Amino acid sequence: MEARNEIRKISLNDFYPAVLAMKAENWRLVQICAVSVSGGYEMSYSFSKNYDMITLRLEVEEDQEIASITHIYPCAFIQENEAEELFGVKIRHIEPDYHDKLYRIDETAPFKVKE
Amino acid sequence: MAKRSIVPFGPQHPVLPEPVHLDLVLEDETVVGAVPSIGYVHRGLEKLVEKRDYKQYAYIAERICGICSCGHGLGYCMAVENVMGIEVSDRAKYLRTIWIEMSRVHSHLLWLGLLADAMGFESLFMESWRLREKILDMFDETTGGRIIHSVNQVGGVQKDMDSTMLNDVLHAVDDLQKEMKPIIDTFLQDYTVQSRLKGTGILKREDAISMGAVGPMLRASGEPYDVRMLGYAAYGDLSVEPIISTECDSYARCEVRLKELLQSFDLIREAIGKIPEGPVSVPVKGNPSGEYFVRIEQPRGEAIYYIKGNGTKYLDRFRLRTPTTSNIPPMVEMLKGCQLADVPLLILTIDPCVSCTER
Amino acid sequence: MEKTRLFTLTGRVLKNLFRKPATVGYPYEPVKYPERMRGHVEITIEDCITCGLCMRSCPSQAIQVDRKAGTWTISRFDCVQCGSCVNVCPKKCLTMETGYTQPDVAKTSETFTKPQEEKPQSVNMADGAAGASGATGRSGTGKPVMDPEKCVYCTLCAKKCPQEAIAVDRKEKTWVLDEEKCVECGICAEACPKKAISQ
Repeated sequence: MEARNEIRKISLNDFYPAVLAMKAENWRLVQICAVSVSGGYEMSYSFSKNYDMITLRLEVEEDQEIASITHIYPCAFIQENEAEELFGVKIRHIEPDYHDKLYRIDETAPFKVKE
Repeated sequence: MAKRSIVPFGPQHPVLPEPVHLDLVLEDETVVGAVPSIGYVHRGLEKLVEKRDYKQYAYIAERICGICSCGHGLGYCMAVENVMGIEVSDRAKYLRTIWIEMSRVHSHLLWLGLLADAMGFESLFMESWRLREKILDMFDETTGGRIIHSVNQVGGVQKDMDSTMLNDVLHAVDDLQKEMKPIIDTFLQDYTVQSRLKGTGILKREDAISMGAVGPMLRASGEPYDVRMLGYAAYGDLSVEPIISTECDSYARCEVRLKELLQSFDLIREAIGKIPEGPVSVPVKGNPSGEYFVRIEQPRGEAIYYIKGNGTKYLDRFRLRTPTTSNIPPMVEMLKGCQLADVPLLILTIDPCVSCTER
Repeated sequence: MEKTRLFTLTGRVLKNLFRKPATVGYPYEPVKYPERMRGHVEITIEDCITCGLCMRSCPSQAIQVDRKAGTWTISRFDCVQCGSCVNVCPKKCLTMETGYTQPDVAKTSETFTKPQEEKPQSVNMADGAAGASGATGRSGTGKPVMDPEKCVYCTLCAKKCPQEAIAVDRKEKTWVLDEEKCVECGICAEACPKKAISQ
């Protein structure tokens, strides 16, 4: 079976409406992934419907704040907390917010700097 | 309104094979809310990809978890192969399929045993694990390891199975299917089992989709979604159909897993019947550059592997989204409204694998 | 909907009462290990050329190779039995054997020392490579020598070299061997598509 598996770049302004549209069309949230790149992060939000998978790629600067999608997809809370804790991505208003205590580690943002 | 109280559950609990903690908000004996927390076994294995070269990391990817090891190795290797544009030989694809189906059998048998144990049905637990031992012996014979197989490598598999080994696997599967019969009957028909499972932990289809459930959880809620339908490895040539149940309760999740066991037996037989001759691995040259998302169906559900390479032998990023990560939010949803005494059993029905989740 | 029954497993339970145990009575009964079992790593130290490939490929960094002292050390308690070293060994002197490492009260390591022998001609190796390999009777000993007539400067040998001892420049058509780094493993000679390298 052939299925779509594509990555779409999206700007921060279009991001929230795009996620709302996904929710309205009954797409399932598959995963959220943060990657450190120089001067910021790449956030990938993957959604799936039937067997198609679409990844929204958001490029954020290091101290740019992004809004949490937990108010649209409540199940995103674990992965958003993880990105915030391990990479230091500034995600605001996660519900529930674990305040960097999801993985009980002492270091702040250990995955942020590439070794 | 009854008085609310908060009961901590886990990380140490007789029913939990792995550490997860829940704060249960109770009204009398009824659960009205739950806050999950993990983080007891976080090892930072995703970060290690920056310090080990991409071929070495295949060994580490397997060691993320002891039960899903075969799938993790396969998913990681498939991601690297996709980025590097490597086409794996047909025989390697079939061998991978046989091994991953065997690992599904062993994982589901393990889960059935744990479920029986959680209900207090000790002899059923022993029976399930006795049968699981046969599959582990087959792994030992064909790959050299009972749990960590180290057979998947970038470009194919490391070991071939000769015809005697394939025959042995076939015999083991036939034996297993015969011996499974009374166990399946017990799980599906026994009064004790039914009284614990039926009607508990209802997760409606809409909720399952909106909360992002995967694997047997999602299929037991009536959504026919099985990543094997995408036809990775040799699944494109085999007859795979998603197994669903529309009951949406714990019993349905048990039923789906039992039927998947039988399906796995058929798939192993079919794959052994169709396996082509040929080399098992292709030489790999160069370093990965680029990114790719791979989806595979683990015993616990859909797992996502993402790699990003920069043209050197060290990858920039490896990401693994395990089935349990996705299944925790629906589990919390499902706990709302249940009785405190049912909580251990309901947590078990998602087949939690916490060490995968935390990596 | 399946029907409900009582005492479904009773027959099986009664049968189990009179059956012999499903487990092996270890340690009173010996265990049978299958042939492929990955139990522990063994080395034929005589064949080892201390190239260090195993050390660099080990995911758990359990192997130390000292070229000068000619020793190969494995920390058995760090080893995860993945078989990576066995796969990369150019001399195939590492093998995976059955049977587990014995438990101990402290983490210990095991050291193998290469027997002191041969290499009398190492001084004039550069001009007598063919003679050196003839003297030891094994391929893969002696520094590699490139035949400029056959070489196409494909850089494959440089890529394959575990020690990064070969530098090849396609444009300048040069092939330089760093004799200090070279461990005489013979991988370059095997990799060469034109068979331009001899030892």
